[in-house]
Amino acid sequence: MNTKINQKDLDKVSVKWLYGSQLSWNYERMMGGGYLYAMLPVLEKLYDDDKEKQQEIMRVHSQFFNTTPHMGGFILGMDIATEEAEGYKAKDTVTGLKTGLMGSFAGVGDTIFGVLFPTVFGSVASYLALNGNATGVVIWLLVNIAILIFRFFSVRIGYKQGVKLVSSMSGHLNALTNAATLLGVTVIGAMIPSVINAPIALTFTTGDVELNIQDTIDQIMPMMVPAILVGVIYWLLGKKHFNSTRAILSIIILAVALKALGVM
Amino acid sequence: MNMEIWQIIVLSLLGFYAIVENLGINVFANQALIMGTITGLVMGDLETGLAVGATLQLMGLGIQAYGGASVPDYMTASIVGTAFAVMSGRGAEFGIGLAVPVALLMIQLDILARFCNVFFQKRIDNAITLMNLSKIKMFHLLGTVSWGLSRGLPIFLVFSFGESIIEFISDVIPEWLTGGLSVAGGMLPAVGIAILLRYLPVKNFITYLMIGFIAVAYLQMPMFGVALLGFALAILQFKKLISEQSGHAGLVTANANLNVRGGLSENEYEN
Repeated sequence: MNTKINQKDLDKVSVKWLYGSQLSWNYERMMGGGYLYAMLPVLEKLYDDDKEKQQEIMRVHSQFFNTTPHMGGFILGMDIATEEAEGYKAKDTVTGLKTGLMGSFAGVGDTIFGVLFPTVFGSVASYLALNGNATGVVIWLLVNIAILIFRFFSVRIGYKQGVKLVSSMSGHLNALTNAATLLGVTVIGAMIPSVINAPIALTFTTGDVELNIQDTIDQIMPMMVPAILVGVIYWLLGKKHFNSTRAILSIIILAVALKALGVM
Repeated sequence: MNMEIWQIIVLSLLGFYAIVENLGINVFANQALIMGTITGLVMGDLETGLAVGATLQLMGLGIQAYGGASVPDYMTASIVGTAFAVMSGRGAEFGIGLAVPVALLMIQLDILARFCNVFFQKRIDNAITLMNLSKIKMFHLLGTVSWGLSRGLPIFLVFSFGESIIEFISDVIPEWLTGGLSVAGGMLPAVGIAILLRYLPVKNFITYLMIGFIAVAYLQMPMFGVALLGFALAILQFKKLISEQSGHAGLVTANANLNVRGGLSENEYEN
């Protein structure tokens, strides 16, 4: 295996992973096809002299794989570094590397890229957009482009650092995820009173005295209804047989009923 | 107002492109707000697009497809909702009420697309057996078609019958139902927020949830201000954790040194 993998090959893998990681996503192998597709330029180079081994390694790489697309590049990079150094006999090592890392990388990746970025930038952008201001949308798009550039370099980083990346990253990554979660939770706390809209229209009239329910609630605690609503759904989501789609349907039914009864 | 043919084609292609883009480079990032903004621009009414997109965005917060689960598709719903809001001239509320059922129906088509791709996976396996590299590439890329059509085709069909759908809704669906749907629009962000809280380790961060709530409910702080406040607190936390870690690491090296010394003294003893 004296054919050296150069930067151009790594970038080819990176670009293919960027646009193609989930194109053939399916219930059987999930990202298996995408992983193989991204690895092809490297496999063609490394196993050019032995077609039998090339075929076998292609089978290995089309097996079940699933992680956050944003984090997959690191795994690809480490995989390439290992296969280049040890060749076909690294087959089992590489399989272990892939299956071992995809879960933990998905945990960090889903939290940071799936939850926290959309929460923080999405809620600020939506808040501005509700007032007819599109600046937040533009800022958000720019952030997404920055993330894309970072993702492009992830294969190179994974390749250069090799397997030691995992140990060197883990300390800082934990602190980073923890701090980012803190930021996310603070913003979510702020979203409860600012984005949930559930004013109570009901008023009681006894003689000359008119009692406005919403005003009374506001005196106890402003934005109490949204807070209770979130609390109840949070509690329900912890129950068996209750999922997000059911939560959405129950809210729709509840809202239609409350509107018909004149409560809201 | 009717939709022009170019608008139907552009928005169908947008739906096709958006899902494929979301699976890959992810700059639009599966977000209803960005789709609403673009649709608003195409329909010539940016403000309605922003309003529909932002409301759906807030409903869909936290609803992300992890590990291959199918979830309500607010991205497609935002395209349909915005276009109908502008077309009917009945404003963002109308579009939002229409978008919610669209988002729920799209779950079924998402499942269908993911299922169809099993077929292409089998063809990829076949191509490996035949060692036909260009076929591997081709069948992988063909997954684009099932993904894209699962969004683009329904959008195209719905818009082609746009006018009659609006007439049907206006004639058949009673006022109390559309009114109820717009109340639901205000309450639905609670679902997304609750899901986010389920996903994050809230019990350890309950203080910060309260800080965020109090900042807005009692102090009327704007959202961007809260984000900055949260960022400042996050920097503090990060620094604290890093210094704790390096302290811990220092302890480990100290222990290691002790062990080495212990080892040496043992050797001396043996000598």
